[in-house]
Amino acid sequence: MEAFLADVPEWILWVAKVALIFGGLIGTAALMSLAERKVSAWMQFRHGPNRVGPFGLLQPLADGIKFIFKEELIPEGANKFLFRLAPALAAIPSMMTIAVIPIGTIVVGEKKIPFSIAQLDLGIMYMLALGGLSVYGAILGGWASNSKYSLLGGLRASAQMISYELTLILSILVIVALSGSLDLGAIVTAQRENGLWNVFTPFGAVAFVLFTIASFAETNRHPFDFAECEPELVGGFHTEYSAMRFALFFLGEYCAMTVMACLNATLFFGGPSVPLWPEAPWFLGILAFLLKAGFFLFLFIWVRWTLPRFRFDQLMRLGWKVALPIALANVLVVGAWVAFTAKGS
Amino acid sequence: MSSILFYVLALVALLGAAGVILAKSPMGSVISLLGTFFALSVIYLLAGFQFLAAAQILVYAGAILVLFLFVIMLLNLGAMGSRFELSFAPLQGGRARLAGAIAVAFALVGLIAAQRTTLAATSAPAADAPAIDGLEGLALELFGRYSLPFQAVSVLLLATMVAVIVLAKRQREGEHGGERGGERGGDPR
Repeated sequence: MEAFLADVPEWILWVAKVALIFGGLIGTAALMSLAERKVSAWMQFRHGPNRVGPFGLLQPLADGIKFIFKEELIPEGANKFLFRLAPALAAIPSMMTIAVIPIGTIVVGEKKIPFSIAQLDLGIMYMLALGGLSVYGAILGGWASNSKYSLLGGLRASAQMISYELTLILSILVIVALSGSLDLGAIVTAQRENGLWNVFTPFGAVAFVLFTIASFAETNRHPFDFAECEPELVGGFHTEYSAMRFALFFLGEYCAMTVMACLNATLFFGGPSVPLWPEAPWFLGILAFLLKAGFFLFLFIWVRWTLPRFRFDQLMRLGWKVALPIALANVLVVGAWVAFTAKGS
Repeated sequence: MSSILFYVLALVALLGAAGVILAKSPMGSVISLLGTFFALSVIYLLAGFQFLAAAQILVYAGAILVLFLFVIMLLNLGAMGSRFELSFAPLQGGRARLAGAIAVAFALVGLIAAQRTTLAATSAPAADAPAIDGLEGLALELFGRYSLPFQAVSVLLLATMVAVIVLAKRQREGEHGGERGGERGGDPR
């Protein structure tokens, strides 16, 4: 088995990695739609979906079939081209960003295979550039629907995403300054070599809090889900969507959540490194990564069913007058600290 | 292979640029501009400038164009069509001809300049010049040799921001009491 695995040509490994990671992402997104209902039921002393398959595990599949066979409605006066394009624009960027997340290293005999689709020197730039595009799905979908609820939802969603993107980028910048690299793999290695996860450093802790808040706003999740905000906006920018295109928006949201959880685990919690056991075997590393990311996914659901929603002006005030100044100050202090305790020069 | 890709991308970029001018609705212009930015970004990637490609998407597509979209959506520029249509009206008239002539002149100057620098580069390759495609090389150039121009540009941006705030404030004071009329549904052209 090991000899066989060591000799497989490069391209088969590539295809296998892409299939595993991409399939894992889609599978996680599907399971998250079930977990959302299961966890909410558990928090509210209900049962949740439990009819399809054991413990309701096949519910996402049933949902998917339902969405495919539903009738697709396109409102009159909608811009058809953009209306059809927007769900894809919402889903694809967040799916693509998973490519640079280092999930671990597979060791086969002497061979070490990094378990991520791409190892880019500019991995974080790639993630931010693509992540910034997911706003188009909301804004164009809201505009193209030719409905006031959709338009307002789209405007709110995009205003919020742009505002919190600054905080998100600045909090990531702190980690980049501490690790000295934009490569996510190098950030994990730096944490392993320091023997300290970034979250346990003073600057890293501040950045972690800001990053987590911003990631909730970026993914349009509760308590910042003003894109939907049922009592005010019916369904937000996807009010007019139905069938599979509606499902695509949700797929995009859950994929974005998964990627944010993975990024949180990578940047602040050492990614695939096992706590207190640096020489842990590789499969424990991957398991550790999945557990860490899984915790943050759970956090998304936990917060949604615990906290009440903000008001939109409160959200903006928090973003621009609290989070952004703290993030800026944090970057300044870290910059000074790195410059004066320079390791390299 | 990469030269074919380049020509395809260049064509996409040019078509997108033409679409910005020709699209009837401002929304169509923004979508065309988005296509142009993407094509440019991939051209940068082909040329090996990874950082530039990512920055192009991050800054132009991710931030600036979204602000354009905001303005368009908030101005409520007339009824929107259910399809994108082209209008060749902006290409007619003396002004358009003048603008076209200026654009062609600039393009010619650019082409000549590009030829000259290519000739210079091939005749004397810089041996130990830092690679600008890498992040470190870029940072060294930006904060080293070009530190002064870089900061001058930052000051310029800051000045623009202050000016915009001042203008917006003055307008708000000016309209005190009365309602702004005649702005909705107005044609920007």
